[in-house]
Amino acid sequence: MKQLADFRPGDTFGLTRTCDRYRPVYYAAVSGDFNPIHIDPEVGKRAGFPGAILQGMCTLAWAADACVAYFDDPARIRRLRARFSRPVNVGDTVTVSGRCVAVEGGTVRVELSAVNQHGVEVLKGAVAEGSFGEDR
Amino acid sequence: MPIDRRHLGRRYGPYRYAVGLEKLRDFAVAVAGGIPGAAFPSAPPAPPHPWLVDEEAGAASPYGSLVGAPTFCATFAMRPFADACVDPALGIDLVRLVHAEQEFEYGAPVRPGDVIETAGEVTGIEQKSRLDFLTVTTTSRNQRGELVVRGTWTAIIRG
Repeated sequence: MKQLADFRPGDTFGLTRTCDRYRPVYYAAVSGDFNPIHIDPEVGKRAGFPGAILQGMCTLAWAADACVAYFDDPARIRRLRARFSRPVNVGDTVTVSGRCVAVEGGTVRVELSAVNQHGVEVLKGAVAEGSFGEDR
Repeated sequence: MPIDRRHLGRRYGPYRYAVGLEKLRDFAVAVAGGIPGAAFPSAPPAPPHPWLVDEEAGAASPYGSLVGAPTFCATFAMRPFADACVDPALGIDLVRLVHAEQEFEYGAPVRPGDVIETAGEVTGIEQKSRLDFLTVTTTSRNQRGELVVRGTWTAIIRG
C-alpha cells in the first residue's frame, strides 16, 4: 500500500480505453443509465452525433480508474471533478493522463486530461484529490 | 424554451439503494473494458484494482470487503438528476440534453450490503448564449448516516 511519502508533485500516470461498439450498452447495464442517446444510434444521429455516444460518466470513470491505480486504493479519493467538453463516439480511443500537482497536508492533488485519438479533449478541467493523512 | 427559474429548489427523492457485491464487480469490469454479467462474461484487457473485483483481496484490505469504484455512485446518486431531466414541469427535450459537468465529494466508502439513501435538489438554472444549464445537487448517506458522496450534476440543453 502506498503512503503519503510515496507521492511527489510531478508524478505522472495514465491509461487508455476504447469505446468499442457495445461499451455504451455495457456501461448502461452496470450504471443504469439507459438514456436512448447512449444505446440507440438513431437517437444519437437525431441529436446530431455520428451515432450513439458514450455516457460522460463512463469517461469520468476512466479518469477515476487512472487515479485508483495511481493512489493504489479505490477509496482514497475525496474529490473528482470534470467538464465533458466533447462526446466520446463508438470507435474512439481515449487516453487519460494524470499529473500530481501538489501534496499538501494529507492531500494528494492531481490534474487530469483525457483526449481522443484525434487529440481532442473529451474532458476539461479535470481534477481529483486523494486523502492519505487520516484513518479510513 | 428556457427553464423556468421558479423550479430552483425543486426536490427529488429520497431513494434507497441496496448495494450488491456483483453490481460492484460488474461496474469495475465494464469500466475496465470487460463484459459484465455472469452469462457471457469477459475479463477486461487489464485487471481492475483487486479491491474492486477480488473478494479475497477485498477481505484482506483495510476495508474488509470489496469497495465501489469512485464513480460507482452513479448507480444510486444519479437518479434525482435524471428525474429533473425528464420532469414534465421542467419541460426538457432529452435529445437536446448533454451531461456537461460533474463533481463528486466523497466520504465513506461503498461496500456490499450498504443501504444508501439519496436525495437531490435543483440548485442551478441559467441561460447563457442560447444554452440552458441545469444543475442538480445530490446527497447520499449510508445506513449509518455517514455521507457517502455529494454530487453536483450539470446538464446543458442546446437551443
